[in-house]
Amino acid sequence: MFEPWQGKLEKIDDYRWRIPKSYKPGMRVPGIIYADEKLLKDIRQDKALEQVANVAFLPGIVNASLAMPDIHWGYGFSIGGVAATDVEEGGVISPGGVGYDINCGIRLMQTNFCYDDIKDKIEELTWALFNDIPAGVGSKGDIRVSPREEKEILVKGAGWAIGKGYGIEEDLECTEENGAIAGADPDAVSDRAYERGKAQAGTLGSGNHFLEIQVIEQLYDRDACDTIGLDLGQITVMIHSGSRGLGYQVCDEYVRSMIHCLDKYRINVPDRQLACAPVNSPEGRAYLAAMKCAANYAWANRQCLMHLVRKSFERVLGESWEKMGMKLIYDVAHNIAKLEKYRVGPKEKLLCVHRKGATRAFGPGHPALPERYKKIGQPVIIPGDMGRNSYLLVGTQKAMDETSGSTCHGAGRLKSRTQAARSVNANALLKELESKGIIVKASGRGTIAEEAPQAYKDVNDVVSVVHNAGISKRVCRMRPLGVIKG
Amino acid sequence: MAHQFHPPVKNYEIIEHTADIALRINSKDLPGLFRNAALALFEISAKKNPSARNPKKETFSIKQKADTLDELFINWLNELLSLSAAKGLVFSDFKINSINEKELEAFAVGEDARGFRLDKEIKAATYHGLKLTRSAGGWQAEVILDV
Repeated sequence: MFEPWQGKLEKIDDYRWRIPKSYKPGMRVPGIIYADEKLLKDIRQDKALEQVANVAFLPGIVNASLAMPDIHWGYGFSIGGVAATDVEEGGVISPGGVGYDINCGIRLMQTNFCYDDIKDKIEELTWALFNDIPAGVGSKGDIRVSPREEKEILVKGAGWAIGKGYGIEEDLECTEENGAIAGADPDAVSDRAYERGKAQAGTLGSGNHFLEIQVIEQLYDRDACDTIGLDLGQITVMIHSGSRGLGYQVCDEYVRSMIHCLDKYRINVPDRQLACAPVNSPEGRAYLAAMKCAANYAWANRQCLMHLVRKSFERVLGESWEKMGMKLIYDVAHNIAKLEKYRVGPKEKLLCVHRKGATRAFGPGHPALPERYKKIGQPVIIPGDMGRNSYLLVGTQKAMDETSGSTCHGAGRLKSRTQAARSVNANALLKELESKGIIVKASGRGTIAEEAPQAYKDVNDVVSVVHNAGISKRVCRMRPLGVIKG
Repeated sequence: MAHQFHPPVKNYEIIEHTADIALRINSKDLPGLFRNAALALFEISAKKNPSARNPKKETFSIKQKADTLDELFINWLNELLSLSAAKGLVFSDFKINSINEKELEAFAVGEDARGFRLDKEIKAATYHGLKLTRSAGGWQAEVILDV
């Protein structure tokens, strides 16, 4: 299935490339790819760019079908894709443009510790997290909820967890949408979805989901670091997870029903995985209401995971999490569709912004930001692979102007899972990582080889592009110390 | 049991895909294609734990309807993934009782997932790159799974 993409790309500047509208009849807008020449070589190696062109067919799409530098071949949308549709002009919403893991996302916590304070405890902490946090395929957690409470989670999101004592109000302020997007309707979610998501609150999942203890090794923006309270050598914790089985089921059911909307609304898309319906249609509204439920479930899940992290640290280090300064820096979704207002030409428009492997990156002063981040812009958290780096960035006004307030979401895969599994010896990799001071614990043996650093692009290259293109700004860089993989 | 199940036959290969898993499945006939695809799903996601003896088995009757054969294929696989996750089972054998372009009736035998090592979580089978083709030699399907 791997065939290099042969289409023509027009260079806009050093960090942007265009697939012209003329590439394929039916494209309503051009494709624009944020990348440099080095990354572009890899991007051309699979069908990701064809998918960028396909997304340009969506009714109501405005400006361009966008791709971030971590773009790679997905199913339907590319991973790393952004598409905004004009709600009032028949703009569509596509479950495939959000993906199966609805509100897969990432949160970053700070601590008061410097590396030297706890360097001898990293291994113990990693083991404690590995033991305390349910991870792996279909993992189920100790956080039990009644059927009535499940519905409550879908509406209240992370707020439900706070109500149960799994965090504090301040955590909500530092979560996109305050941890619960309004308009979630539990009746739009099937019984099967409830059943599939049952007992998965407070579980990490598998595949590329992870939990990481990190140390800040480079500061780029001293003012932003001071605002957040970060310094060189400081310990942070990162959590990557999503809506688990409940989200998969919501996506599956709505792709299934929206396939029929293609005929009903006479929508022409070159790939049925792009099945969609107008946002302002019964089918579009129903999906949005169900998607919001899954998104809220994911925020509740990451809040529960953070609570478990705090408890593990308390147990190992014998201090309260408050005393250890384990505050949430921010939590962002990177698989979601949101209704947001942007200026398109002379008018302000309500757009349905699909971020499929892309992160919201609101610039300074945006009303959705908590007071503490109004000056610096929205924190953007970019995880890398388990052997290299992760980043904290902030959103910019340029992202608001160019990319519907969006930026990249990670390193992006370079090699297939089978290629990685074939070429990487898991034991040798674990030893190599250990020699670099990185302890890895994984539930599934196969995960280690599949998630090896060489399977990913270098996150430093990806972040360099979004920084230089101005759609987000580097704040600091972390390196991993202890990694839990599902 | 009244229904005759056949021993699993490996009749698929994994093909390269950057983020996910792509499968090519073969069979001499359409029921075999659907059965082999289902077997492949669970073979790549779970390995039986040798110490698990006499696992409890449960047979499910599955009926699916669709507008096209492609849709029927995707609905069948996604129904199995969904059911296995919801019920905590790994499906290990299948019998396609009847199938045409738009309808399928089948039995699926599930075993308690605790008797397996679960290696991979398959979220769904997708339409992207989906190809079902018939030739003189039988049927072939290519499908991309979100993992």
